[in-house]
Amino acid sequence: MPLFLEEHRQLLSFNYPGRGDLVEALESVAGFLEDKVMPMATKFDQHAAKIEETRKELLRQGVCQMPFPKELEGLGLPFGAYALAIELTGAADAGIALSIAIHNTAAEGILQFGSEGQKRKYVPDIVAGRKVASFALTEPTSGSDAKAMGTKAARDGEGFVLNGSKAFITNAGEADVYFVFAATPKGPSSFIVEGSNPGLSFGEDLPKLGMRGSRTSEVRFSDCRVPAESLVGEEGMGFEYAKKMLNGSRIVMGSLCVGIAQAAFEKSIEYARSRKAFGSAISEFQLIREKVADMKTGITAGRLLCLHAARVRESGADFGSEAAQAKVFSTEMSLRVCDSAIQVFGGYGYTTDDVHRHWRDARLLTIGEGTSEVLRMLIARRELARSL
Amino acid sequence: MTLTVWAYSESGQVASEVAAAAQSLAGTGKGDAVEVMVGAMSDAGPRLPNALVLRGMSASENTPESTAEAICRATSKGMPSVILVGSTRNGREVAARVAARLGTGCISDASKLTLEGESLIGERSAFAGKVTAKVVAPIPCVATVKVGTYPAAGKTTANSVSEMDVGGFSPKVKVLKTIRKDARSVNLNSAKIIVSAGRGVKKKEDLAIVESLAKSLGGAVGCSRPLSSDLGWLPEEHHIGLTGVTVKPELYLAVGISGQLQHIAGMKDSKVVAAINTDKDAPIFQAADYGIVGDLYQVIPAIEEIVRRRS
Amino acid sequence: MKIAVCIKHAVDESELKMDPGGSPMITGAAGKMGTFDKNAVEEAVRLKSSGGGDVTIFTVGPADARKSMKEGLAMGGDRGVLVTADPVRIDSLSVAGLLAKAVQRDGSFDLIICSEGSSDVYTGQVPPMLAELLGFAYFGYAKKLEVSGSRIRVERSLEESVEVVEAPLPAVVSVVSEINEPRYPTLIQIMQAAKKPLEEVPPSALGVETAPKVVVRSMSGQGSNRKKVMLDGTPEEAAAKLVDALRAEGVIPR
Repeated sequence: MPLFLEEHRQLLSFNYPGRGDLVEALESVAGFLEDKVMPMATKFDQHAAKIEETRKELLRQGVCQMPFPKELEGLGLPFGAYALAIELTGAADAGIALSIAIHNTAAEGILQFGSEGQKRKYVPDIVAGRKVASFALTEPTSGSDAKAMGTKAARDGEGFVLNGSKAFITNAGEADVYFVFAATPKGPSSFIVEGSNPGLSFGEDLPKLGMRGSRTSEVRFSDCRVPAESLVGEEGMGFEYAKKMLNGSRIVMGSLCVGIAQAAFEKSIEYARSRKAFGSAISEFQLIREKVADMKTGITAGRLLCLHAARVRESGADFGSEAAQAKVFSTEMSLRVCDSAIQVFGGYGYTTDDVHRHWRDARLLTIGEGTSEVLRMLIARRELARSL
Repeated sequence: MTLTVWAYSESGQVASEVAAAAQSLAGTGKGDAVEVMVGAMSDAGPRLPNALVLRGMSASENTPESTAEAICRATSKGMPSVILVGSTRNGREVAARVAARLGTGCISDASKLTLEGESLIGERSAFAGKVTAKVVAPIPCVATVKVGTYPAAGKTTANSVSEMDVGGFSPKVKVLKTIRKDARSVNLNSAKIIVSAGRGVKKKEDLAIVESLAKSLGGAVGCSRPLSSDLGWLPEEHHIGLTGVTVKPELYLAVGISGQLQHIAGMKDSKVVAAINTDKDAPIFQAADYGIVGDLYQVIPAIEEIVRRRS
Repeated sequence: MKIAVCIKHAVDESELKMDPGGSPMITGAAGKMGTFDKNAVEEAVRLKSSGGGDVTIFTVGPADARKSMKEGLAMGGDRGVLVTADPVRIDSLSVAGLLAKAVQRDGSFDLIICSEGSSDVYTGQVPPMLAELLGFAYFGYAKKLEVSGSRIRVERSLEESVEVVEAPLPAVVSVVSEINEPRYPTLIQIMQAAKKPLEEVPPSALGVETAPKVVVRSMSGQGSNRKKVMLDGTPEEAAAKLVDALRAEGVIPR
C-alpha cells in the first residue's frame, strides 16, 4: 500500500509552491514507513513486537525534527508538512505515530516556554531521537478539567518536591524526559523531570483497546525531587502552557486520524473490488459505492481541515479553534470510516486484526488530547464570544 | 552464409544444456552447432558432433576475462551467427564482454530461443517475474541461456574437432584462491522437495524445525533473502530468489515466507507450491496451490508427525 | 580515491500494473532507484568514509531519474551526472557506451561500482560491458571488496565457490546485495542533497549516437495459475489436509 499519494503531492505544491524539497522529504518518510513500520503494525497491535527499536529508527530519520528550528537540530520545515508526515505515520502504524507525536509535544513545550538553557539541553536530543519524551498532564481524577490538579510541587530549598500521579500517560516508563504539570501554591506549573529520577515510578502497561504499540500507564511521583532549573517558564502559568501545547498537538492528532482512515479505506476498496457476491464484485453495488464515496470525501475533508489549521498556526494567528475543528472532525470521521471498513469486510472485518485495529486505534482520539465534547465547547465559545 | 551456433559454458552441467539449445537453434536453421571449449577438451565433452577447442591460454587461467578474449580472437577466423553462453555468474560476464567487444546485441537469461529471418528471438523473465518479454537481436549476436530451461545433451562422438591456437593472454584479474562452498548446501537445483524458511522463523535455532521436516520429506532447505543476507542464519547458497538460486522442485513448501516478488521469481516454476504463514494477506498465498494460515511452530511439527506416522 | 557509482532509475516492479490485454504498462509506471543499486551506493559511501575520496553517481535515464539520483546523493554521493536517454528505448550496450563516455569525460576514476543487475530487467550486462569499453579490470558479483594502495582485492560470490581475486586499479565492480545493508537517508541528508550538483547531459554532448541492437518485441504478464486452496482447521487438521493434498498431487511419498 503506497502511503504518499497524488493528493499529498498536490496539497504540498498548492500550499508550499516551489518547495519540491517537501515532496522529497515526505516521499522518503513514506518509503521508510512502508519498508520498516507498516510490516510491523499487526505485530505491535498484538504485542508480538515492541516499538522501541522501530521508533528509534523512525526518530533518527528525522520526522520529529521537521517543524523545529535549525539551530536546535530541527529542519525548519512548515508545520503543515510535519502534520502530513504524522498522517503517513498514522497510516503505517497508529501506535507509533501517537508515541512520536506526544514525544514531540513535549519538545514543543520546551521550545515555546523553556529557558535558553532548557532548549539547548533538551530540544535537540528529543527531536533527533537521542532521547524519548513524554507529556504528563491528565490525572486519575482530572482529565478535561485540568485545573483540578492533584499533583503538587512544593518548594524544597532551591528545588521542588513533586507528589501525586498522572494517568494514561503515553511513553510512560520508556521516556528519558517527562514534561510534567504539577500545582504549586501559585497554581499549575510545568516541570521537566528526567526519567532516571528515583522519585518516579510507573504503573502497569494498560490493556488498551487500540494504539497498542505505544506504552500507556500511570506515572507516580513520590517525593520526586527536581532542581529549580527544571521549572519551565513561570510558576503558575502551567495551565496556559498546556492549552497552547494541546492546540498544536490537536492538529497532529487530527492528521494521525486521517492517516488511520486512509489505511482502512485503502484496504476496503481493495477488498470490495476482489470480493464477489451475487455474481459480481461487491464494489459494483451502490450501497458499497455510497460507503466508498463517503469515506473518501471524509478523508479529504479531514486532511484539508488539518492542513488549514496548520497553515493558520504557521501564519502566527491564534489557531485554537481551527485546531479543535480539525481534531473533532478528523477523529470522528476516522471512526466512521473505520467502522465502514469493518462493514465492507463483513465477518472478516469483525474477525481480522488488520481491519478492526484501525477502528480500535482511532477510538482513542475522540477522547485523548481533548474530548470531542470539550473541543465543541471551545469552538462554540469562540464563535459566540465574537463581537457582532 | 550458413548458420553457425557456438555453445559455451565453463560449467559441465550447464554446458550440456547450452549444447542442447545450440543444437535446437541450428537444427531449425539447418546450420551447424559447435561446442566451444577453452584450454582443452573437457572430459564430459563433446556434447555436440562439432567441437572447437581454443588453445593457447592455460585452462588454469580460465577466467571470464580470458575466456571472452579467447572467444573474441576465435571469431576473427570466422564469425558465428550466434554465440550461446550458459547463464552462470561467470557466463554472463563472458557474454557481455564478447558482445561489447564485437559490438553485437546480447540477450540475457533466455529460454525458448528461435530464429526468425536474420534475427534471434529469446524469451526472458522481467520485472521480478511479473512479465515475460520477447527480445529480438539481429544476427550475429550473443545470448546467455537460462540455466535449467533446456534438457542436457549427452556426450557424443565428435565428427569434427578443430583446434585453434588463440595465443597467450595476461589477464588483469588474478585469482588468488577459490573456496568451494559447502557441498551439502548447493543441491537445491536437483532437489525434488524444498522446504524454505523466511522471517516467520523467529530464531536461528528454530531453523531446526524446518530442517527436521525437510529431512523427513527427503528434501532440501532453502530460504528467503533476509535469512541469508541480513541475518546470516543460512549460507547464501540457500537463498532462493531473483538474486539467489532459481529452483523448480516437485514441491516447494514456503514456511513463514511473506512472498516478495523477488522471492517468487526464484520458485515460481515449482510444480506444486504450498505455503504456511500467520498473515492471511501474505502475497505468498497468491503464488501457492495450498495455503495454511497458521503458526509454523504448530503446523510444521504437525505435518512432520503425520508424515512419520504414515511412513 | 575517485569513485563512480552507476545506478538505474528502475521501474518499480511491485507497482507495475497490467493493462486489460495482460501487457505491462511500462510507460508512466512508477520508478525508483534499483533495489540492488542501493548496495552499490552504500559500498561507495563506506569506502569514501573509510579511505577518503569522493563519489560521483552516474545514470542513464529519463528526467524522472533525478529522483533516484537525489536519493543517491542523500545517501552520501557528492555529485551526480544524469545522461538523459530513456533506457527503455536503448539496449545495455548503448547504456554502457553512454556511461563509459560520461565517466571518461569526468576524469580518471579509480573505481566504478555497479550492482549485479537492475531490479526491473536484471540483465546484469552493463557492468562487464562498461569494463570492456573502458579497458578496466572487472569483478562481477563482489560480496566483499578491499582497496589497498593501487590494488583492489575482491571476494566474488559464484554458484559453487567464493573466488578471491585481485587486480590493479582502475576497476569496475558489480556488487551482490549481501555485501552490505544500504542506509536510509535521513531527512537532513535529503535536504542537503538538494544542494549537491546534479548535472544533466544529453547523449549528443557526449558525442554518442545510440543505435540499439536488442529490442523488446512484446511483453505479457505472467499470470499466476496456482490453485490457491486455503486449508483451515486446527494446526493438526490443516496439516493433515495438506499432507493428503500433497500425496494426491504425487509430490510426496504415500
